Amino acid sequence: MSILQKIKNTVRSRSIHVSYVDVGSCNGCDIEVLACLAPRYDIEQYGIYVHNNPREADVLLVIGSVTPQWVDKLREIWDKIPEPKVAVAIGNCPISGCVYARRGTLTSPPVEKYIPIAAQVPGCPPRPTEILNAILSVAPLIFKDYEEKQP
Amino acid sequence: MRSIVYYVREFLRPEWIRKFFFAKTAPLETPSYFKGYPALTGNECTACLSCMMICPAPNAIAVLRTRDGWEPEIYPGHCIRCGLCVEACPEGVLSSGRILDVTRRDGTAFWSWYHLQVDDNLCMRCGNCCVSCPVNREIDPQLAGSGTSASDEVIMRVEGGRVRILHEEKCTGCKTCETQCPNRAIRVARMVEGVQIGEAET
Repeated sequence: MSILQKIKNTVRSRSIHVSYVDVGSCNGCDIEVLACLAPRYDIEQYGIYVHNNPREADVLLVIGSVTPQWVDKLREIWDKIPEPKVAVAIGNCPISGCVYARRGTLTSPPVEKYIPIAAQVPGCPPRPTEILNAILSVAPLIFKDYEEKQP
Repeated sequence: MRSIVYYVREFLRPEWIRKFFFAKTAPLETPSYFKGYPALTGNECTACLSCMMICPAPNAIAVLRTRDGWEPEIYPGHCIRCGLCVEACPEGVLSSGRILDVTRRDGTAFWSWYHLQVDDNLCMRCGNCCVSCPVNREIDPQLAGSGTSASDEVIMRVEGGRVRILHEEKCTGCKTCETQCPNRAIRVARMVEGVQIGEAET
């Protein structure tokens, strides 16, 4: 492993930039993501920064069951994120649609139909600790030795 | 000037420097009272399906047949961890956080019954519901054809050209009447009310 790769690994492990997008949910999971930012959980002590700008993000947190208006825009946001990138589904909505998975609702879960999802955090809403653990455990899997893993 | 000196001295204190660089918030622990996904306690499930009927999330819980009996299964992608199945279960098959302790301490329970409603605008008085009802058949074997009955003990009967519900409390919620109704005029609804045991006595 080259020295350059080692430096990249070290830097990437302490600098994970997060962007979150709500594609139609009740906002409960948004509030749990915000609770991660608050001093009680303090997401920045783990080197995770929330910018909410897909152009500089590494991790995309997808919240909510997908509404028709979001189908093309979610794909656009995903394409804007530079490689290496990873998407994490937060809450039940992107996994199954949760309480919106009924007849007559304008949602089309799951979100895996539109963008590749690396990790899912079930819960309605999930605890902030669960969100943090998911980001911290999935990020090294994707970002460590990223250049060497490329074919 | 004095305040600057004060701050410089304050920031050079070893304790302050240690705190500034090595402070960490509390570790990521889930508290013991947190309502997680319901877990099995080992009590025997009687397949009364109270948990499935009270569950507000679609497809979150299913009571499955195992080799020796029945067993509820929770699906994490669907479950919203409200804990209603834990509270509704009469056998205490599931447990989550401190819900079982709290319900035992407060003596709370769910009381459910079936509510029958006939929409007179849709109903065409065919009497299918009264005839098909298995409870009606048990009580009055003579009940046939038009749905009229001489017995006052039946759940419902055709009376004066319309369906009249007499004994709603005997309904078992099988919904045979609903499936047999050609106009979807009769509806069976399961009503649930939270009650506190001992409240009625005082």
